[in-house]
Amino acid sequence: MIGVLRSLGATMSTMLRKPVTIEYPTTHRKVPERDRAFPILLWDFDVAEPFCTGCHACERACPVECMTVTMKDNPKHAEGASKRRKILDEFFIDYARCMRCNICVEVCNFDAIAMNNTWTGHELSVVDRRDLVMDREQLLALSKGKQIRPWVPS
Amino acid sequence: MGQLLWGIFGVDMNVWLDAFLRLQIVVIVMTVTVMALIYLERKFVGRIQMRLGPMRTGPFGTLQSIADALKLLTKEDVRPRTADFWLFELAPYVTFVPVFMTLLALPFMDGWFVRDLQLGLFYIVAISGVTVIGYIMAGWASDNKYALLGAVRSAAQLISYEIPLILGVLAVSMVAGSLNLNDITIQQDTVPNVILQPLPFVILLTAILAELSRRPFDIPIGESELVGGPWVEYSGIRWSIIFALTEYAGLWGFSILGALVFLGGWEFPFGTRSWWGDFAFLYQLLLVFSKSFLIILTVMWISATFPRLRIDQLMAFCWKILLPFGFLQVLINGIVLTYDPSETVRDIILFATSSALLVVMAYVIYLATRQPSREERVGAILAARSVQ
Repeated sequence: MIGVLRSLGATMSTMLRKPVTIEYPTTHRKVPERDRAFPILLWDFDVAEPFCTGCHACERACPVECMTVTMKDNPKHAEGASKRRKILDEFFIDYARCMRCNICVEVCNFDAIAMNNTWTGHELSVVDRRDLVMDREQLLALSKGKQIRPWVPS
Repeated sequence: MGQLLWGIFGVDMNVWLDAFLRLQIVVIVMTVTVMALIYLERKFVGRIQMRLGPMRTGPFGTLQSIADALKLLTKEDVRPRTADFWLFELAPYVTFVPVFMTLLALPFMDGWFVRDLQLGLFYIVAISGVTVIGYIMAGWASDNKYALLGAVRSAAQLISYEIPLILGVLAVSMVAGSLNLNDITIQQDTVPNVILQPLPFVILLTAILAELSRRPFDIPIGESELVGGPWVEYSGIRWSIIFALTEYAGLWGFSILGALVFLGGWEFPFGTRSWWGDFAFLYQLLLVFSKSFLIILTVMWISATFPRLRIDQLMAFCWKILLPFGFLQVLINGIVLTYDPSETVRDIILFATSSALLVVMAYVIYLATRQPSREERVGAILAARSVQ
C-alpha cells in the first residue's frame, strides 16, 4: 500500500524531469572529441598544400585495402616555396570498405591523415555505394574549411 | 451567444430535431475529445518515461491523432476466413454503442443533456454493462483461441467490476437522494461528494480503470501475451472504432460521470451560474471539463505507473476488498440516512465513516499484499528447524 503511493510519486517525479530525448535529425548530440568516423586528409595552410606526400605508408598498412594513393613531384618545391619534394597526386578512400581502424592515422609520418570527428563523418548515406569512394578534393574539403576539431597530436 | 444556444434548444422545438441536434453536438465533441485524449495520453506517458512523445506531426505533434486516424481509416480491413461474418462485423459496434449511449444522459451543463433522465445514473451503469456482449461476440467470432481467451477474461473482469462501480455510485445517490445526475450535481453546491464519500470515489476510480481495461487491470488486452485480447483479428477501421473510440470515449464518459457525481460538476466551488450571465454555460463547461480532465490525468498517471495484476489478484481485489467495503458503505449510509440527522451532523458522520472505511480498506490491502521481510522469513525457517 505504501509502495503504491511511492511508485506514484516516482512516476510523478520522472514526469517533472526534463526529457532526455534529442530530436535527432534537427538537433545533434555533441560528438565526443575522440569520435572516430572515416579518415580525411589534412591541409597545410602555411604552404597551401596537403600535408600528405603520397608515401603509401597508410595504403600499405590498411587492413581492408580501401586506399589508393599516387605520388608526384611537388612543383612548389621546385619554386622553393615548400619543403616537400613529393606531394600526393591522387588519393581515393572507399568509405564503404573502410572499417575505421585508425591504423592509417597511426602509421602516417607526416600527420597528414586524421579521423573525422564531426557529424559529417556519420551521416553519409547515399543511393549508390560507388558514391562513397572519396577523391582527393572531397577528402581535403573538411580540413580546408576548418570544420574538424583537432584531436590527433599535430 | 448564450441566449441563442439556450434558445435553439428550448422546449418549443420539435423533439426529434432537438434530440438530433444535441446528438450531433455530442458526437462532434466526443470525436474531438477522443483525438485530444489520445494525444494527451501519448504526451503524458512520454513525459513520465522521460521522452517527448509525438513531436513530428504538426507543431509539438498536435496533428498526430489526425495522422493516426487517417492511417487507420485507409488500412485494409481484414477478416479471417473462418470468422463468423455477422458477429465479427458487428462486434465493434456492439462495444462502442453502449459507451456512446452513456454520454446521452450526462449533463455537461446545468440542464443540458441529450435527454434528461430521472434514472440517469441507473441508465448509465446499466447500459455500460452491455459492452461485455461486444467483447464476447468479438472473441467468439474471431475463431482464434487467444481472442476467445481474452474475451472470457474480459467478460469475467468487466462483470466483476461492474458491481463495485454500481455500489460506488449507489452510495452517492443514497446521499443525494436522487438518481438524476442534474439533481445529484446541484446538491453539491457547498460540499462535493468526494469529501462526504471518499471510499466510493476510490472504488469508482478503480472500477473505471478495470472497466476500461487500463494498465493495472489490462488482463483481457494483455499486449505481451494475448496480443490485444478479443481484438486480435481486427484491423483498420474496426480496430480504430474499438481502440480509439470505445476506450477513450469510455474514459471521457466515465470521467465526466465522476466529475459530476463526485467532484461537484459545474456546481461546486461557486454554486450558481449568475456570475457569468449569458456566458454561464461556458463557465460550466470549463468547470466540468477541467474536473473530468483531472480524473483522466489521474487514470493515465495510475496506468502509466503500475504493472499488470494477475487474474486471481484482480478477482480477489474485486470480490474480497472492493465489494465488501462497497456494501459496508451502502449499509452505513443507510443507517445514517435512516436516522436523518441535521445536514451538518449528517455530513460529518458520512465523512468520518467513509474515510474511516477507506483507511481500513487501505490497511486490509496492506495486510493482504505485505511480503514478510528477510529476517522474518529466516526466523520462520529457523523456528521450523528447532521444532524438528
